[in-house]
Amino acid sequence: MRRGRTRVLLPLLLALLVCLPDGTQAASKKKKRAKAKETPVSFDKNLPVLSTRLTPFPPGEGKAIADQACLNCHSADMVRQQRLAEKQWTASVTKMVGWGAEVPESKREALIAYLVKNFGPDNDRFEPVITRPVGR
Amino acid sequence: MLAGAAALVPAAAFSLPPGTVPNSRRRMLQVNGYATDAETPLDALTTYITPNDLFFVRHHWNPTYQDARRWTLTIDGEVEHPIRLTIAELKKLPRASATCVLQCAGNGRGLYRPFVPGVQWKYGAVGNARWTGVRVQDLLDSAGLRASARHLHTSGGDKPPGKVPAFERSIEIEKALEDGLVAYEMNGEPLAPLHGAPARLVVPGWAGDHWMKWLWRLSAQPEPQKGFYMETAYKYPKEPGPPGVAFKPDEMRVVTELFVKSNITEAPARARAGEAIALRGFAFSGALDIAKVELSDDGGESWRPAALDPQHDPYAWRLWSFRYTPTAAGRVTLFARATDSRGSVQPKEAVWNQSGYLHNGWHSAQIEVTA
Repeated sequence: MRRGRTRVLLPLLLALLVCLPDGTQAASKKKKRAKAKETPVSFDKNLPVLSTRLTPFPPGEGKAIADQACLNCHSADMVRQQRLAEKQWTASVTKMVGWGAEVPESKREALIAYLVKNFGPDNDRFEPVITRPVGR
Repeated sequence: MLAGAAALVPAAAFSLPPGTVPNSRRRMLQVNGYATDAETPLDALTTYITPNDLFFVRHHWNPTYQDARRWTLTIDGEVEHPIRLTIAELKKLPRASATCVLQCAGNGRGLYRPFVPGVQWKYGAVGNARWTGVRVQDLLDSAGLRASARHLHTSGGDKPPGKVPAFERSIEIEKALEDGLVAYEMNGEPLAPLHGAPARLVVPGWAGDHWMKWLWRLSAQPEPQKGFYMETAYKYPKEPGPPGVAFKPDEMRVVTELFVKSNITEAPARARAGEAIALRGFAFSGALDIAKVELSDDGGESWRPAALDPQHDPYAWRLWSFRYTPTAAGRVTLFARATDSRGSVQPKEAVWNQSGYLHNGWHSAQIEVTA
């Protein structure tokens, strides 16, 4: 008789053991899902993710040269925020050409004129992009 | 050496206070899409510990983020036996922590007149964090530092493109031994890729250009590092000069310690005469501590002390608050200035320099007072 009972109980116990973790996992997943729904976003989710919002150079003669010369290494933001006099732009272009910026000699003056015109000392148009917290 | 001993305490003795930046202020100001540069709005810099996700980001170039599983840190140069450590080996070494300010050397560049080239940071390329890792002294000792070593050359992964010179730096060996850390944790979390993972250098009290991110080599050498980022960039005038007149190379020295500085983080735009308002802010210096913060409503003729928050660590910032009752209707400008534990007083105007480093002129808040 005992042996018979064991034969019946053992599979039942095994089935329970196999089923339990599944049941627990499912419940835990539900809990996690519910928790994720409850957790409020700690920032304005309409804000862009850092480094995803780029603004191009303004149109004009010289834009194509600026695109070619500057954008390999940094976004247009780096230039758009500057407020430099002609002497400073000339020095900056010389430095960047030395560092590998592609500026044909025939287009150098046009590039400097474009930079001075758009990003001279009276350039107050640059605004930082308001983004989400870092990594969000 | 005393400063180093004070700055470094066992990591376990510290527990982080909860972040209290309201959700509406939890945002960043991206000033450069790529390489990634973003500053923290001043009204989010109101906690003693700056949350990791609100900490300013500064990249020179577009680094290849290191795979921690393959990353190694090499310590060589004037040492008896060069060593190379994996992140797991680094983490087995005695842990040490320091809570201190990290400020980009160029923070405030956008406030200089005449304008100077570079990232036009205003106020928020600064934060205060708890850095945990291994003392540079322990690392150099284990490699058998020779007496001939005078400078610690540092190399990281802020890898420039094309012909752009490598971002390589060096610091005096005394400073590195005093309180330098190779940090792999920031505010109790693993260091994030944007902040230099797997490990970065921490140089308490010194400007951020020394805090090499994505660190892969420390090399003890008899001479300072050469190259653009040591010999041309990160130079500051030895003596002040007229604004707009560029200093010659021999009139400049390497940027090292931070200058005493205070910023106002919270001030109401409007107030009523006879009713008290509160202003808040932070202050820090390249000296160990801040002695006082004062505010003036008469353009600096007279000053009244702010209350300093008791929470402090060497080279960390002090939060402060100031209760102010305007007496009459009109526009009031309140200036804040800090004095550090060495007696250095924050100047009204920062010393103009052609690269726009270490701006620390008085910060002000304007308040419209109605009757």
